[in-house]
Amino acid sequence: MTSYSKEVIADLVAGTLPWPQTRRIMSAYKDDDRFFKYVAVLQDRVGWKDPILLPVGDHLFICQSGDERVTKCECGHSFGDYRRNWKLKAAIIVRDSEESLREIYPNSDLPDPEWMEIREFICPQCGTLHEVEAAAPGYPIVHDFEPDLEGFYRDWLGKPLEPLNKGG
Amino acid sequence: MLDKPASALRIRERLIESERLMDETGCYDGITELELRNQDPLKFETLHTKLRAYCVSAREMARRISASPGVREVGEMVVAIYTPEGDAIALSNGIMVHVHTMSRFIKWMIRNGYEENPQIRDGDIFANNDAFIGTVQVPDVMDVVPIFHSGKLVGWAGAVCHELEAGGITPGGDVALAQERFTEGLFVCAEKVGENDELRRDYVIRCERNLRMPIYWVLDEKAKVASCIDMRESVKALIDEIGLDYWMQVSKEFIEEGRRAQLARTRQLTVPGIYRGHTFYGHVTAGKPGYQPLGDPNWLYNIPIEMEITSDGKIVMDFEGTQPWGYHSMNCTPAGMDGGMFVTLTQHMNFEGLVNDGAWMATELKLPHGTWTNPDNEMVATATSWALLLPAYGVFQRLLSRSFIARGFVEEAFVGQVNSPMIEMGGESQYGTPFGMAHFECAAAGSGALAIKDGLDTAYVGWNPESDMGNIEIWEQNMPMLYIGRSIVPNSGGAGKYRGGCSFLSTWLVSKTDHLRLVTSEHSSRVFDNGGLCGGYPAPTCQKHRAVRDSNIFELAENGAPLAHHTGTNPYRSELEVRLEGEHVTLEGPYITAPHKTGDVFTHSYNGGGGYGDVLERDPVKTAWDVENGFLTKEAAEGIFGIVLDEDEEGFPVANLEATKRHRAEMRAKRLARAKPVSEWIAKERERVKAADFAPEVKKMYASAIKLSPRFTRDFSTFWDVDAKSTFGVE
Repeated sequence: MTSYSKEVIADLVAGTLPWPQTRRIMSAYKDDDRFFKYVAVLQDRVGWKDPILLPVGDHLFICQSGDERVTKCECGHSFGDYRRNWKLKAAIIVRDSEESLREIYPNSDLPDPEWMEIREFICPQCGTLHEVEAAAPGYPIVHDFEPDLEGFYRDWLGKPLEPLNKGG
Repeated sequence: MLDKPASALRIRERLIESERLMDETGCYDGITELELRNQDPLKFETLHTKLRAYCVSAREMARRISASPGVREVGEMVVAIYTPEGDAIALSNGIMVHVHTMSRFIKWMIRNGYEENPQIRDGDIFANNDAFIGTVQVPDVMDVVPIFHSGKLVGWAGAVCHELEAGGITPGGDVALAQERFTEGLFVCAEKVGENDELRRDYVIRCERNLRMPIYWVLDEKAKVASCIDMRESVKALIDEIGLDYWMQVSKEFIEEGRRAQLARTRQLTVPGIYRGHTFYGHVTAGKPGYQPLGDPNWLYNIPIEMEITSDGKIVMDFEGTQPWGYHSMNCTPAGMDGGMFVTLTQHMNFEGLVNDGAWMATELKLPHGTWTNPDNEMVATATSWALLLPAYGVFQRLLSRSFIARGFVEEAFVGQVNSPMIEMGGESQYGTPFGMAHFECAAAGSGALAIKDGLDTAYVGWNPESDMGNIEIWEQNMPMLYIGRSIVPNSGGAGKYRGGCSFLSTWLVSKTDHLRLVTSEHSSRVFDNGGLCGGYPAPTCQKHRAVRDSNIFELAENGAPLAHHTGTNPYRSELEVRLEGEHVTLEGPYITAPHKTGDVFTHSYNGGGGYGDVLERDPVKTAWDVENGFLTKEAAEGIFGIVLDEDEEGFPVANLEATKRHRAEMRAKRLARAKPVSEWIAKERERVKAADFAPEVKKMYASAIKLSPRFTRDFSTFWDVDAKSTFGVE
């Protein structure tokens, strides 16, 4: 069975693994023990102790925080219960003018701000840009991901999560 | 013929039986045990490898018969081997989107009694390019031949080429001006076009008299037939070796194994749950010549996708909430939607094991009736289905990628494909003859970024992962235009920690013709038709078209003065305007105008891919390399990524790490100061929504989605706390 060391996974996640080695990993049979090594690598990276249950972005994690399961930024900021859309608790910058769009697209033709705006969802604590939506004005904010967290741990990983003491 | 009902029902009954067995057992053709695989796994794998080798070798041989630079240079071809019921067992590389569309074509013939009339016999050749029977668009012409052994139908061999000229109202194949089926070009609707391994002369004559450049289509037909015969004979020889009973069983086990492998792979690589995303496409034709007033000229398409990964590993994609079909060429049939799913899966999940129709069987598409994904009118045009299909499956790639990131397989996460706009042409060639051609250098767009590295520059399209732009010299042999530039477009990849792959732009001088019609398609107007992921930005994909008529380029050349080789990086004054005199034209939307002539200059830009991750985390050293090599500008490095670059003694950019750190801290602080709570933004925005204070096209988009989709109506109403129907005047 294919397996890699935690150090290799750490380098892979950080984008620092040399390309020939990365390429070999891409071409090889997948390593079935990846998930928990990956979570361990991320747990080492964050500066807090709440156990990570599932990464949902580059710096966003569902974690066990006391009795709750919350979506957390790598800086430690909590966006609340993981079943709710974390974006609703984020900070936002909306680019809906030629001037603000030009800051990101310096030399191309721009979208018509009457037809499309760029929405940046930001951690209000550390300023990390977690997600960008390109949407028509008035389009509801998307709830990107609603994982079947319990089912994943129970049926796919074979390690059921402890039941929550209270609803959320 | 009608006195032979038993014969007419034979294959059809087998097809129905096969589908019933799948419904009853959940397994392909009722194969609940992989007996032959379990008996001798090595023989099983070896046989599939042989079949795949037959396909790859047949395709390579056919490419050398073809006269079309699309097939020879760019590889716009795929071949596959099928069961008697029309399910793909093995396939070649190439435009794999068509492996499953061909499956639909074969099944369509079986369901429609072809065994009775026109009969299915050894040596017959059947062709099709009707998307409602099974293809994506008119230029995707497919040929299949039955494989008989010991007097029994034991399979099919099939091949598809994308034809460079389809005889539609505009030249090429992605017929931008088609608003109904009747202007798309030459249709071949599941037709028997040959017997005894030979194309019928009357069919060839029909092609010769209905196409602008029949040599491409006709020689491609011969190439496809040759590849089908080659695969057929290889399969027959294999059956001689392994026995007919073994073949009939093992070919089905291959597919069931493919289905199981897909489910297992999903459980291995992803996380169950609901994933959502969307993209948009703008279609602007107001005032353009040739468009009939059959509906509103301008469209804004929303393409929302909800993907569910179930606990057993099935992937279900739902397009509810998208727009209705329209009188334009961008509609897609369920066959095309299936094809998009198939080609995406083959790239992202089926990189090991048996690749065949089994993977598709482990998925489900929900295509709302009456939308562009499943039109309730078979007269609609589908000539540029890709315009909506590619952005849609780019969303699918991002949804899958989020699941890979959640599971830890970051090396597989990929921000996805983009549209790669097509330029097509016709009129009088440089040889003084009539001609028509689709220019297929579009098969080399920028790809989306990966979660661990930048995207591929000018080297990826979703429909053919074996992307190639073709050699300039070959294209110049086939059109009355000369390249005066083929350049990387700086900053054309979406910004991010890892940027999207960059696109390129071609600049041509029209030469040796007084009548050159240029037409473009699959180029979104006014909106980006792609996205970023995890903080990455979309690529700038709403480029306009730029041309100079009656330019003074020959005079400049004679005087040795500098020419324009690209459009440059000043969005307000292009290099064409700086260097060339003449009538400067800048147009959005499909480029359809009066013919060009010698001395005119035209540019056409392709698309880059979306970015991944926060721009403020981008590697400064890599960025210096990007600036040095023209993928990013110095201004973008500093303004977008916060990377300060100095110059070394030789003038090359070098990252100033300390200054970068300081600059990024300032940018982050400014970002935080500028941002406001989402709740505050929603409260303010709600007032605009309540007043439906939007551009007419945006309002029409909402009204159309609300009319077609209860779910979209509910979600919109809930999110904004409004009555969506009354807000947009929907009954």
